[in-house]
Amino acid sequence: MSDYALALTLVFVGITMLLSIRQKLGLEKEIVVGTVRSALQLLLVGYILHIVFGSRHPLLIMLIITVMIAVAAWNAGGRAKRVPRIRLAVALALLCTESVTMAVLLGLGIIEATPRFIIPVSGMTIGSSMVVSGLFLNQMKRETESSRGEMEAYLALGATVRQALAPSVKRAVRSSMIPTFDSMKTIGLVQLPGMMTGMIVAGAEPIEAVRYQILIVFVLASAAAITAMLMGYMSYRLWLDKEGRPYI
Amino acid sequence: MTPLLELHQLAKLQFDNREEYLFRPITSKVAQGDRIAVIGASGQGKSTLLRILARLERPDEGYMSLDGVSDKDWKPAQWRKKVCYTAQHPVMLPGTVEDNLQTVSRLHSLPFDAPAAKGYMGQLGLGDLDWKKEASSLSGGEKQRVALVRSLLLQPDVLLLDEFTASLDPGSREGAELCVRQWADTSKAAVVLISHDMEQAERMCSVVWFMAGGELLEAADAGRFFAAPETEAARQFLKRHAGEGETKNV
Repeated sequence: MSDYALALTLVFVGITMLLSIRQKLGLEKEIVVGTVRSALQLLLVGYILHIVFGSRHPLLIMLIITVMIAVAAWNAGGRAKRVPRIRLAVALALLCTESVTMAVLLGLGIIEATPRFIIPVSGMTIGSSMVVSGLFLNQMKRETESSRGEMEAYLALGATVRQALAPSVKRAVRSSMIPTFDSMKTIGLVQLPGMMTGMIVAGAEPIEAVRYQILIVFVLASAAAITAMLMGYMSYRLWLDKEGRPYI
Repeated sequence: MTPLLELHQLAKLQFDNREEYLFRPITSKVAQGDRIAVIGASGQGKSTLLRILARLERPDEGYMSLDGVSDKDWKPAQWRKKVCYTAQHPVMLPGTVEDNLQTVSRLHSLPFDAPAAKGYMGQLGLGDLDWKKEASSLSGGEKQRVALVRSLLLQPDVLLLDEFTASLDPGSREGAELCVRQWADTSKAAVVLISHDMEQAERMCSVVWFMAGGELLEAADAGRFFAAPETEAARQFLKRHAGEGETKNV
């Protein structure tokens, strides 16, 4: 894409700005900040990836993945700030998901062990797992509020914290995974996924792009399952104290 | 008799004002076979006290011991298996009536005592209730009785009942009282119940804990308490209740 074409994409920002002004939405500042930040962040990432792809140093790859996990955990964990050590728990879930995913992809030789493959796939895995963690935390928060009576009824009958929390955790795991599986069912029919679109636009054969997209869809499905299960598993120690009293 | 449950200087601060006591330190005990009525005006912390005894709430001061062992040395779940709290507004667990009745056997990997469950249900006037019915669709009174059966099937050493007949009509109330009395006699368990019905407290209990002014003001033999309470607050309280009873009977 030429610099001229890139500059012309600002027309879309102009349309958004115009609509905001005409409709008196008061979003002009948000639009400017969003535009500048997204452009700068993406350009920065572009340059960093350029350097990483050039050096191919494993430590550099690990550093980038660590930053991705840290930012994702910070962001998703923000949904349940009052739960002690929640961000650490999300980071652990994301780290495990990423490790299992990469171990399978690289171990079976599905993708090449180069930054060109590892970093984008990791980005998609961690990003999608972050969304799953966020959904899980939201649902658990709702559960600890709405199902408090149910939990207490179990506890009063001598249930352990694990037994009292199990039905809520199960519901939260399910509801955090459902969007991933729903989008799997409609992919290609309703939306053309970003990665595939990007590859096609960049000149790749559509069939080749589709092959990679299938890989990504399956990776994201398993990543969603692993993340949700791990979040569920850790919940038994996170949401209720040892006596079974909720933190939220 | 050896006390089952001992309260050592147990106190709770107000939830919204941490400077003030909800109730000041209470030292008392519950022995095997005791039937204790906790009475007092609303807002004295009676339910909170029962919830603390069941370890569903934490005291701000003091501690408890069960079978001579301090609460710190008990696993909460093991404690609650022996000291069971039945809430005033019981929550039905997801599933059918049968699922609810089988909760205890499921939680503790015990065989389901169907004859006992049927017996209690019959005593409580729920002999004809369809066990396949969704528990959430039951009426308030039915839920209260199913929750009571759930608790009885746990066979606790101390049963804590928070206004367990509040949603019941007089006939069902009598059945529930009889069921609890017989269960306690057979199992030699202790019962601690909160009641705003003084006649019920007198009928069912041998001991009264009277709470007023943010403390356990009297812990006395029920017969003596209802005949001649020691404190002015208790006399006034009983007088008010007698007045209410008369008004109701008119």
